Amino acid sequence: MSSKITKIAAALALTTSLISASAAFAEDTIKVGILHSLSGTMAISETTLKDAMLMLIDEQNKKGGLLGKKLEAVVVDPASDWPLFTEKARELIDVNKVSAVFGCWTSVSRKSVLPVFEELNSILFYPVQYEGEESQRNVFYTGAAPNQQAIPAVDYLMAEEGVERWVLAGTDYVYPRTTNKILEAYLKAKGVAEEDIMINYTPFGHSDWQTIVSDIKAFGEAGKKTAVVSTINGDANVPFYKELANQGIKAEDIPVVAFSVGEEELAGLDTAPLVGHLAAWNYFQSVESDANAEFIDAWHAFTKNDKRVTNDPMEAHYIGFNMWVKAVEAAGTTDSDAVIDALPGISVPNLTGGYSAMMPNHHITKPVLIGEIQDNGQFDVVYETAGLVPGDAWSDYLPDSAKLISDWRAPLSCGNFNTETKECGGKGN
Amino acid sequence: MTLLRALLVCLVTLVLSSAAVPPSMADDLQDTINALADGSLKDRAEKVDALLATGDPKVVPVLSQLADGNLYVRKADNRVFLTESAGKNFTLTDPVSGEVIPDINKRTLDKIKANNSLRRQIRDGLSLFALNSPDPAKRLEAAETIFKAQDASALPAIEARLAKEQDPEVSAFLEEARAGLVLSSDASESDKLAAIDVLREKGGRQVLSMLTAAAEKGEGAVRDAAERAVVAIERVLAIWEGVQNIWYGLSLGSVLLLASIGLAITFGVMGVINMAHGEMVMIGAYTTFTVQQVIQSTAPGLFDYSLLFAIPIAFLVAGAVGFVLERGIIRFLYGRPLETLLATWGVSLMLQQAVRTIFGPTNKEVSNPSWMSGALDLAGLSLTWNRIWIFFFALAVFGLLFLLLKRTPMGLQMRAVTQNRNMASSLGVRTPWVDAFTFALGSGIAGIAGVALSQIGNVSPNLGQSYIIDSFMVVVFGGVGNLWGTLIGALTLGVANKFLEPFAGAVLGKILVLVFIILFIQKRPRGLFALKGRAVEQ
Amino acid sequence: MISAFLFRGLAGRIAWVAAAIALIGILVPLSNLFLTPEHALYVPDYIVSLFGKYLTYALLALTLDLVWGYCGILSLGHGAFFALGGYAMGMYLMRQIGSRGVYGDPILPDFMVFLNWKELPWYWYGFDQFWFAALMVLAVPGLLAFVFGWFAFRSRVTGVYLSIITQAMTYALLLAFFRNDMGFGGNNGLTDFKDILGYTLQEPSTRAGLFAAAAFALCLALIISSAIVRSKFGKVLLATRDAESRARFLGYRVEHVKLFVFTLSAMMAGIAGALYVPLVGIINPGEFAPANSIEVVIWTAVGGRGTLIGPIVGAITVNLGKSWFTAQFPEYWLFVLGGLFVAVTLFMPRGILGTLSDATGKLKSLGSGKATALVQDPADASELRKEGEAS
Repeated sequence: MSSKITKIAAALALTTSLISASAAFAEDTIKVGILHSLSGTMAISETTLKDAMLMLIDEQNKKGGLLGKKLEAVVVDPASDWPLFTEKARELIDVNKVSAVFGCWTSVSRKSVLPVFEELNSILFYPVQYEGEESQRNVFYTGAAPNQQAIPAVDYLMAEEGVERWVLAGTDYVYPRTTNKILEAYLKAKGVAEEDIMINYTPFGHSDWQTIVSDIKAFGEAGKKTAVVSTINGDANVPFYKELANQGIKAEDIPVVAFSVGEEELAGLDTAPLVGHLAAWNYFQSVESDANAEFIDAWHAFTKNDKRVTNDPMEAHYIGFNMWVKAVEAAGTTDSDAVIDALPGISVPNLTGGYSAMMPNHHITKPVLIGEIQDNGQFDVVYETAGLVPGDAWSDYLPDSAKLISDWRAPLSCGNFNTETKECGGKGN
Repeated sequence: MTLLRALLVCLVTLVLSSAAVPPSMADDLQDTINALADGSLKDRAEKVDALLATGDPKVVPVLSQLADGNLYVRKADNRVFLTESAGKNFTLTDPVSGEVIPDINKRTLDKIKANNSLRRQIRDGLSLFALNSPDPAKRLEAAETIFKAQDASALPAIEARLAKEQDPEVSAFLEEARAGLVLSSDASESDKLAAIDVLREKGGRQVLSMLTAAAEKGEGAVRDAAERAVVAIERVLAIWEGVQNIWYGLSLGSVLLLASIGLAITFGVMGVINMAHGEMVMIGAYTTFTVQQVIQSTAPGLFDYSLLFAIPIAFLVAGAVGFVLERGIIRFLYGRPLETLLATWGVSLMLQQAVRTIFGPTNKEVSNPSWMSGALDLAGLSLTWNRIWIFFFALAVFGLLFLLLKRTPMGLQMRAVTQNRNMASSLGVRTPWVDAFTFALGSGIAGIAGVALSQIGNVSPNLGQSYIIDSFMVVVFGGVGNLWGTLIGALTLGVANKFLEPFAGAVLGKILVLVFIILFIQKRPRGLFALKGRAVEQ
Repeated sequence: MISAFLFRGLAGRIAWVAAAIALIGILVPLSNLFLTPEHALYVPDYIVSLFGKYLTYALLALTLDLVWGYCGILSLGHGAFFALGGYAMGMYLMRQIGSRGVYGDPILPDFMVFLNWKELPWYWYGFDQFWFAALMVLAVPGLLAFVFGWFAFRSRVTGVYLSIITQAMTYALLLAFFRNDMGFGGNNGLTDFKDILGYTLQEPSTRAGLFAAAAFALCLALIISSAIVRSKFGKVLLATRDAESRARFLGYRVEHVKLFVFTLSAMMAGIAGALYVPLVGIINPGEFAPANSIEVVIWTAVGGRGTLIGPIVGAITVNLGKSWFTAQFPEYWLFVLGGLFVAVTLFMPRGILGTLSDATGKLKSLGSGKATALVQDPADASELRKEGEAS
């Protein structure tokens, strides 16, 4: 009859004892949390990042660890379930006492853990290209902001391919919506007429692309040079590209430039019919640099599989992790406040042969590369920006965000400073 | 550049007539080719033009290999070579002398990169060479490329070729290409009117934009003729668009049919709410992947037939998993249909994770065999081969299954057991085994569906999840326990979806279809083809 | 009168469990707020928010048990009611942010500013008032359930057909809420909440308060549900589950009975969702996913359906397992969880609670078993009936 009460009590006792048991080990290592989905829909992309982090931590330990201590990875599985992300973030910080967390892929997962990091004052490194419009004290964005990916790609197509007509195709969620808003404003500013822009949104995991691809084909046969800017998300890409190939849309006629398709996504495709379609990233596996060759060798050795590809978010973790290590060394402690203050200004080698620096707005500087798909599933870099492009948290092409800036250094310490009213927005109080 | 083209055209005709090349010219050619390797991508366009301008047939392999990404430069002496991959190393061929150098390490070479605009330039440039090719198919392709490129400087070459062209099909294409160029040139009114007639016959979207432009710019009779032609072509296009849409709907319907036909047996006939159905489809897809891997490493020549091997193997593998599932779990749950939901949901979680552990979480590449690649151009339609095959495959699977159920002793026993288990049992039917085989059959068919679906979508551990809900909708809409219902249901939902998509967009279209299903079930609570009789009375 | 009605719900072990939940709802927040972390009985913040979430899940499972366990309606779309309640609460929390959003717009939520919306859509009006939001938490899921049920029950859609169309309903809502044009924040949903009724959400004390509220709601829902199933109406409910046609022939308006329970259950699910959102800090269309609704069914089945207490036990057990496994065996937890579902259906067909009471029932078969027997035996009867239907 009272079995229920004892049950709950037992359950409570069990969890508490487990938690205290795992906390007891905490003393002689520095813990690093890895918050990537290992099951569910996002496992396709995120599992690789977990492996990359384990490799980076392993290598750092071989170099003697950090501050004389070993690093210890704490891996959890938030299972592509956003509320579970919140729970797991809290568990990592509060229970496992990690010093920093590397994780999240989708915007919604980042959004759902933000309040936790703010409340418990910890550090999150977020490695994926995203829509911008955010700058938070506890988060460091090592992926690309829209100005580090989309705009250079469009510039390239205009200049090199003479594109005059644009299809903006994306999955219906916030990253494509924002990127396309920014691009639409940008293209119109460049004199592209309204009727030369076609915008199309599809649901997640869309698999039947017949109608849309044939619409694109029809749109492209109207005489002007046409290109597709694709912000189609992960899973939907394979059927999209298969349909493109089968309907005979060649890159020479209608090139498709994608912002979410990297080596990992191409691994699921026969790329021979797709040669010449483009992607814009800050890193490609085919980049020739010593750091990259070393990284790829280490990756193949770590995964014991020389077919495993590397990709842009992995490089972002590489940069982010090294920045964190350097900041902890500079601060002499893993204390969040000290590390957060130490991070801006830190500069570490990236894999494309240069250096990336953390900026006061918690975004980093990166080169922008444009690559064409090759028949071996890799990209050939056909264009690279002359210098590094600093990530812009608040886009200049959206009216409400153009007036905002972010600077987390001492006097300002604000993620959304309004340059018109000279006030820090709601978040900085 | 147009000037260069004109020059080139003269050269082509000139050079092709003289067979022997003097040695000094060969050296020049070698230098021009080697120059390709210098400088950046941006400078390469001029060099390609220079090569095209030589008019030497030897530049054809050089440029096509450049376009294909197989042209390399030897780091040691900056000489450019044609290459062929031979295992880990390359076999080099000198483009001028034809000298072959085998077994060269890739690391001693640098690839000469090309980009889209370069590839386009090469394709258009080489089409003029191909115009005089002995192979009519190549000439046809060249004529088509010239038509698309719309470069006025190609006109003399076309006319020269037209004069001696024997093949009627190629001639027709050349006429069209010429008409397109004439229309945009400053030719006489009568020439232009003739050109409009030719183009009007051809039809299609590109012609439409050419004629629209002509109608805007032209005057008098030309403008009128162009406008009339535009209206005529638009009318034809609209009809084809409707036909195309029906096809898209049927094609989507056939995918739904394949995905749900196995479920029509395990759920529809047996009453098991089989949440692991999607995972059976996934197992079929992964079997296809494995079969392709094995074939690729043991007998690459058979690759085009890989699907033929995959179909029976997938049937057996998925069927075996289904058999084990039935014997191990489901047979204890008969009569508790809602609990089969829980158990099979658990099984589906485990199967997903098993695949993730064995094959890794990322997408796997399953290639289309050559006979399933590309599209069939039929009048104004472009039907992709993989969809055509899948459509007929789905119908074939349905037909076979139907025959199996209606015309074989095994099918008779299956129907007997599902209709009245006790009676069948007392007549000597071994009901437990019939159950097991029926479930295995449903699972095996799901496996076969996986083979087909791997051709159009992802092969990932999530594959099953993306089909499961649609499959249930189809079976319930069609009427549980009725194969015809599943067929009609799948095709109806497919066509409805595709007709809503242009108006409402992909997302809203799908929502509307779901709402329609909900309302339809109110009207006919047992689906499209309800089983009649007392068996289903409450 | 109402109290008398509710008092009837406190029969047998329900009273004990309700008291236990109420006690937890009081003691846990007190311990969290007033004891030092070193104290042996201190409940850390992490546990408070985790178990707060579990309590809302338990409430959701309880509402499902009311329709499934007692009325035979297997809803595969209960997550939709939960999510709608959550969205209503989320909209209130969103409006509470006011000008503290990143763009500082006093009216428009951030995601609208960011997508260039110029004014608030009409359906967002009123959500700045808590009372209105609270009303909507009940009204929206209730109305949807009422309309849906009115059509479905009148047309006599039953069994798997009903289950599948409830699934279609939640799937359609999932797709709809994913659309950014709907004005509910698309895939990201509603996040970045600041405070509720003036209390900062990031404060441990607010969370402790929410925990208490969740426990209180669960306790109340348990008593109400128990009172309903024990009333005369509850008997009709069971009759409907076990022999719908016969109940109809006897003159009961079966569809009204079903409609009432379905709507009530949806409204309580809405409350669960509304409590869940401030505890978790985000609501997004993922909550509409059919898989989530199936999971609720599984919690109920694992705990033991048709028992009211079972779903609570099931929801907490399964989620506790999930939390623990995802941290301890991140690569293999799905095997464990999947195996658990299979094992429960095979070896504990009546769920944890059913199996437990079987065991204890044997010991004291004549003791307190009377009240539970009333509830549980018809569950077996329904199994038999479904057997007939399936074959």
